[in-house]
Amino acid sequence: MSMSDTLRNRWLHLVLALALGGIFLYAAHDKVLDPRPLVTIIWGYRLIPPQLTNLIAIYLPWMEVLIGLGLVTGIARRAAAGWATVLLACFTTALMINAVRGIDVACGCFSTSAQDVQNAWLLALRDLPMLAAAAVLTFFPPRRRPPLRSAVPRSSP
Amino acid sequence: MLPSQAMREHLLRDMVLLLAATLVLGTVSNLFPSRRLAWWGAGQQPPQVGVDFQWMDVLSAEEIRQSLPGAVFIDARGLGAYGESRIPGALHLSYTELGTALPADLEARLRGADLVLLYGDTADADIEQLMSQQLRRLGLAPPYILLGGLPAWRAAGLPVESASEVAP
Repeated sequence: MSMSDTLRNRWLHLVLALALGGIFLYAAHDKVLDPRPLVTIIWGYRLIPPQLTNLIAIYLPWMEVLIGLGLVTGIARRAAAGWATVLLACFTTALMINAVRGIDVACGCFSTSAQDVQNAWLLALRDLPMLAAAAVLTFFPPRRRPPLRSAVPRSSP
Repeated sequence: MLPSQAMREHLLRDMVLLLAATLVLGTVSNLFPSRRLAWWGAGQQPPQVGVDFQWMDVLSAEEIRQSLPGAVFIDARGLGAYGESRIPGALHLSYTELGTALPADLEARLRGADLVLLYGDTADADIEQLMSQQLRRLGLAPPYILLGGLPAWRAAGLPVESASEVAP
């Protein structure tokens, strides 16, 4: 079995989607209920112009919810995984930039507390397995099962 | 890696739909006053020096500590670090505590203080800046932030105390 076949395994996809979807839903919970503390966390990254921080805080939690729902329910799963890949790539890049700057940030990943400051390198490393999972779900869709009809020879009339 | 043009188009269409759903949900949810944010950055701007806080160097802070009994020093670091060592007489307050439920006695103390000074353990003082903004929102005068934080205080050879040195 090739690597590509392994990555397209349906069961692997199901496990990755449920795990990643659960993580996204859990991460979105606090932010959806009240996105206001998120503004200060986004500002803390010092990467986004201040005028845009509110817009990100308004929409990002809902994107996380929809990604989580898509991954868990299977509705538009690849699209959800695609957005998860985009978001996780952005998060990881932002964390790495701050790690290089030597600034530990409150990541805002699972909490909206600006005091939840952690080592930026560790946070970036924590994101990498999730990014890999999202990339597998996006770029290696599971092979479709051959339709049952084709497997059973039709009897001639 | 993507198997076919049709699948790519399907993926792109679904991603656009997901983005559209995000925009609708975010916009609708932001109409609720209890959780509302200004659309264009005016609601929660970054803390500004001169508006939300003032910087104070360690020597001036030590002078204030010794000469102004009504000054309140706030340690914004973690509770563990606060227990290990702190500026003598400093109180502990976390950003989370400040955002949710500021203890009534501490709030009264801050309101009655001649001067409030916040310090942490980083030169950037990000958390202290956010705390000062929050304090100002609570109606307090803009506090001071210790320039360089506790490391600068220690480097200047100024006194610190630990929990064991404080009488119960």
